[in-house]
Amino acid sequence: MNSLPEFNYLRPATAADAVRMHAANPASHYIAGGTDLMPNIRRGLVTIGAAIDLGAITELADIVEQADTLRIGSGVTLARIAAHPAVQARLPAIAQGALSVAGPTHRAGATLGGNLCLDTRCNYYNQSEAWRAGNNYCMKRDGEGCRVAKKSKRCYAAFCGDVAPALIALGAEVEILGAEGVRRQTLPELYRDDGMKWLTLASGELLLAVRVPLDDAWVSAYEKVRMRGAIDFPLAGVAVALRREKGVLTGLRIACTGVASQPLAIDGLDAVLGKPLDDASLALISEQADLANRSMKTTLVDVLYRRGVSLVLAKRLTQRLWDAAA
Amino acid sequence: MNAPDRKLKLTPAAKKSGRGVGARLPFVDGVEKVTGTARYTADLTANGALVGKILRSPYAHAELLEVDISEALKLPGVRAIVTGADCDVPYGVIPIAQNEFPLARGRIRYVGEPIAAVAAVDEVTANLALSRIRLRVRELPAYFNAVDARAADAVLLHENKPGNIERAVHNEFGDTAAGFAVADLVREENYDCAEVHHAMMEPNAALATYEPERGHLTLWSVTQVPYYVHLTLAQCLKMEAAHIRVIKPFVGGGFGHRVEPLNFEVIVALLARAARGTVRLLMTREEAFLTHRGRPETQIRIKLGLKRDGRMTACQAEVVQRGGAYGGYGLVTILYSGALLNGLYELPAVKYDGYRVYSNTPPCGAMRGHGTVNIRFAFESLLDTMAAELGLDSIEIRRRNLLRAPTETINGLKVMSYGLGDCLDWVERASGWKERKGKFGQTGSTGKGLGMACSHFVSGSAKPVHFTGQPHATIALRLDFDGGVTILTGAADIGQGSSTIITQIVTEVLGVDYRRLRLIANDSALTPKDNGSYSSRVTFMVGNAAADAAQNLKKLLVAAAARRLKVTEAEVEWHGEGAAVAADPDRHIPFEDIAEEALVGVGMLTVNGTFTCPVEFQGGKQRGGAVGSTMGFSYAAQAVEVSVDLDLGKITIDKVWCAIDCGFAINPMSVEGQVQGAIWMGMGQAMSEETVYENGRHKAANFMDYGVPTIIDSPEIEVHIVESMDPNGPFGAKEASEGPLSGFMSALAAAVEEATGHRFRMLPITPEKIFAVRQEQIAAAVANEVSK
Repeated sequence: MNSLPEFNYLRPATAADAVRMHAANPASHYIAGGTDLMPNIRRGLVTIGAAIDLGAITELADIVEQADTLRIGSGVTLARIAAHPAVQARLPAIAQGALSVAGPTHRAGATLGGNLCLDTRCNYYNQSEAWRAGNNYCMKRDGEGCRVAKKSKRCYAAFCGDVAPALIALGAEVEILGAEGVRRQTLPELYRDDGMKWLTLASGELLLAVRVPLDDAWVSAYEKVRMRGAIDFPLAGVAVALRREKGVLTGLRIACTGVASQPLAIDGLDAVLGKPLDDASLALISEQADLANRSMKTTLVDVLYRRGVSLVLAKRLTQRLWDAAA
Repeated sequence: MNAPDRKLKLTPAAKKSGRGVGARLPFVDGVEKVTGTARYTADLTANGALVGKILRSPYAHAELLEVDISEALKLPGVRAIVTGADCDVPYGVIPIAQNEFPLARGRIRYVGEPIAAVAAVDEVTANLALSRIRLRVRELPAYFNAVDARAADAVLLHENKPGNIERAVHNEFGDTAAGFAVADLVREENYDCAEVHHAMMEPNAALATYEPERGHLTLWSVTQVPYYVHLTLAQCLKMEAAHIRVIKPFVGGGFGHRVEPLNFEVIVALLARAARGTVRLLMTREEAFLTHRGRPETQIRIKLGLKRDGRMTACQAEVVQRGGAYGGYGLVTILYSGALLNGLYELPAVKYDGYRVYSNTPPCGAMRGHGTVNIRFAFESLLDTMAAELGLDSIEIRRRNLLRAPTETINGLKVMSYGLGDCLDWVERASGWKERKGKFGQTGSTGKGLGMACSHFVSGSAKPVHFTGQPHATIALRLDFDGGVTILTGAADIGQGSSTIITQIVTEVLGVDYRRLRLIANDSALTPKDNGSYSSRVTFMVGNAAADAAQNLKKLLVAAAARRLKVTEAEVEWHGEGAAVAADPDRHIPFEDIAEEALVGVGMLTVNGTFTCPVEFQGGKQRGGAVGSTMGFSYAAQAVEVSVDLDLGKITIDKVWCAIDCGFAINPMSVEGQVQGAIWMGMGQAMSEETVYENGRHKAANFMDYGVPTIIDSPEIEVHIVESMDPNGPFGAKEASEGPLSGFMSALAAAVEEATGHRFRMLPITPEKIFAVRQEQIAAAVANEVSK
C-alpha cells in the first residue's frame, strides 16, 4: 500500500455540522473508524478531497435502551456493541455479527455506521493501483466492463458487512440526517443490488443511528463462513430471527451477506409459519435462500461453495434457534 | 509453553548460571522485539533519503523493446532513474545458474518483474515518475503451468534451456526394478501441491548510501544472506567488495524468501549510486509476493513397494516443479526432492526423475523445508494408504522401516544420530493413538480423525554454495580493557534465535556471567563472513564455531591466569568469572584481573573459532550429490487430531503432538517455538495457503486473500524433545526448525480421511474441496439407495 495522500481534515462537533461541511466539500468522505476506508484510500480505491471525522460527535456514540427499542448510534464501535449486555442478551445476532468482524484491533475502532456502509468487495477491485492498471481496471473504478461477468452492464462487487444481516433479521430501522432533516427507513431500504451504488443515501447524508425492536419473543443468531477464524470478510453470512409460540413457528426472518451487492432479506418464507418446523420447512428455507443468492466470482473461493454453505447456515441456524426456543 | 518439563542434561555452566547450553531462556534480543525498540530496516533513520520506487511489469511474457524514461526524468524532484541498461551483469544465488537481471533486459518473464526504478524527493513524485515511464513491448505467449511450458511448441523463456526445463534430474540408487519385483504390494499415486509463499511478517525494505567521493556503498537490508548480497552487489555494480559494506538490522522472519540476493537489493544500490546519495526502498506486501521465491507448484507421481510386513523394497518418484521465470535456488530444490527421499527410513532402492520447469510466474526458491516438503507429503500419504491395505497401523509400519545410526544411505548421506523411534513412541503414547485411532465415529455433522507422519531435514548443507576454501563458519570473540567479551558473528538472526544460541554456547564454554557477553551481528565491516541463515545450518555450524572460539579464548585466559597466579596452566582451576590455584582455592583472581593480564603486551584480543564440514560428509559422487548432504538430520514424528464440520467442509485442528529429535536442545524454549512455528506454517500450506495467478497476475498477493492461519486457527501444539546427542553437533545439537514442517500435511490428510472417508491427494485441503467431496458422497449414497 502507498502512504496516505494529502487531504483536508475536518472534525465537526455535531451531526448537523458534519452534514453542512459535506455540503461545502462535496468530494469529502465521512470517516469514523477508518478500518475499511483507510486501506482503500492507500490502495487508490478512494479519492478523498477532505475527511470529515465523525469521532467527536457525541450524539453518534450512544447506545440507548428504551422500553421496546434499542437505539445504537452509528458511531458506536463494534467492540462496544458486541460487549453490550442488552445486545448480548436480547439481540444476540447483532453481538455475534459485530464480534465476527476482522480482529480485536479493528473492532476497537470500527463503527456500526462504517460496517453498514462498507464498500462492496471484489477480487478484481480490492487490489493495488498497479494490479488494476495491469488488468485494465473495471467499471467500479477507473475502467469499463465487469471482470467477473464479462458482458454485464452492472457491477457485482459483493456487500460483506456482518452486522447488516443481523439487523435486517431483527427488523431494524435507520435514522438518516440530510440537508432536509432526519428521516427514517427500514434497513433494507438503505441498500440496492448494485456493486457501484450499493447505498441509497444521497450525497452528504449521514447515518445517525439504528433502531432495533426489543421483543423477547424473537430469538436470533448470526454465523458466517470464512477461510480463517478471524480477519476474513464473510464468504457467506446468515442471520436468522425466529419466533416460536406454543410449538408453532410464528415468525421467521432470514438475511444473508456476502452473496449479493447488498445484504439480502430472504422472501417467501410465509409457508413455513403456523406450524412446527419440519424437514419440508427447512427444504423450503433452503430453496428460497438459494433463489435469492446472487453470489458471483468476486472472491477466490468457489461460488458453488459460497452458495452451498449459505443454505447450510440458513437451515442450521433456523433449526438451532427452533430447538433452543422450545 | 506446553512442552512437558523434562530433566535437562544440564552442564555445569548451565547449572551455575542458568545461562549455558540446555537452559530454557528467552531470546537475548527478545526484550527489544516485544517492547518495540528493535530497529528493522524500515525503522532506520534515513535523514534526507530519497524515496525509491520500482516499476514492475504488467506483462507476463514480452520482448522489452524500449523503456522510455525521458518524460519521467523531466519531473522536478526526480533524482535518478535506473533501468536494465544500468546493469548488464546477471546474478543468482547458484554460481552456475545466474540468469536474472535486477532490472529486466530485453525480455520480461513475469507480471511484477522490475523494469525500472526511480529515486525522487518524495513518494508522490516517485509514483508520478513511474507513471510517465513508457514501455514498448512485443508480447509473447506465456505459460502459467508446467505442462504448457513444456509443450513442444512453447516459446523458450531462456534460449539455453530446451523444453523450458531448467534442470532435469535422473538417478537411481539400488535396484528399483528388483525391489518392486520382490514387493508384496506395489502402488502408484499422483499428488498435487499448490505453490505457497513465505508470508514473513516484515515486508521487504532496503536502504542504500553511496558516498561518491570515496566510491563507497553501504546497504542495509532484510536479508538472511548478507554475504551473498555483498558478493552480488560487487558483481552487479562492478565494484570492489572492499568498497561495499552490508549491514543486516533486525529482520522479521525470512523462511527462505531472503536466502538469495534479491533484485531490490541491487536496485536500491544502483539508485543510490546514480543519485549519489541515500535511497530508501520500502516495498508493499504485494511486492513481496511478486518477489516470491516460495515453494513451487508441484506434481508428484510416486510408486512404493512394500513387503507384507510393511518393510520398504523400492520407491520411484517423478516430481515436476513449476519454478517460475528464473533460476534462483531452483536446481537445488529439485535435487533436494530426490535426495531426501532418503535418510528417513531404511529404503533399499530409489529411482528419481525430477523436472524443474520455467514458467511466466514469479521465481520460486527456497522455503522452510526446502524441496522436501511436497515429496514428503506424497511419500507419507502413500505409505499410509498402503499400510491400510496391508492391515498395518501407521505408526507400526514406520517402526518397521527405521534406520540404525550410524549409517550411510544409498545415495551417500551419513546418518550419525537417529531418534525417530523415540519420537514415534512418544507420539503414540501422548496422542492416545492405540486407544483412539479409527474409533472416533461421526457425531451429527461432525467427523473426527487422527493422523500421523514422520519427517526430517538437514542441519545445514555440508557443501556450501560458493566454494572458497574458507571455513563453513567463523566466529570472533573480542576482549578488551573493559573485560567485556564481544561475540562477532555474521550469522543472520532473522527471528529464529541464532544470536541466543551462540551466546549460550559461549557462556557455556567460558563459564562466564551471561551479561559479560555482548553480541554484534551482521555488519561486514566488523563481523566475520558467514554463509547465511539457510538450510538450518547456523546452530550446527556456527554453534560449533562459537564453541571453538570460546575454547580458543579460554586457552589464552587460562594462560593469563597462570601467569598472574604464578603457577602452571595445569594448576589453574577455571571458574569462569575468575580462576584459582587448584591446590589452593584461596589464591583466587577475578575475571577483570585475568583479562588485564591477557592484554599485557598484545592489547585487544580477537580470537577466532571456525567450523568446516569434513569432505566425507559432503554427499555422494553423483552430479548434484552434494544437495542433501549434511552432518546431522533432525527427525520428527507428529500426530494431528481434527474435527471436520462435514456440511461446511471446515476443518478444526483440535491438537497436534510433535516429537523432535534435535540432537540436544541448547535452548528448549527456542526448540519448542521453532517446532510450533514449523507446524503452524505446515498448517497454512495444508489448509488454506496458495498463490493464485490469473493470466500470470497474482490474485492473492495480500494477507486478506492469501490465507495465513490466524492465532484463532492455531491448535495446542505439544512438543516433546528427543535428545539423540549427535556426535558432531555442538553439545550434540542438530536442526529443529524445518524438519517438523513437512510431516504435517500428510498427518492432516490422514486425520481428514478418518473424519470424512476421503483421502485428499492435493494441497491445500480447503473447505470448498471437502464440501465438493461431501456433495459427491451424498449423491453417491442417494444413487445407491435408488438402485437398491
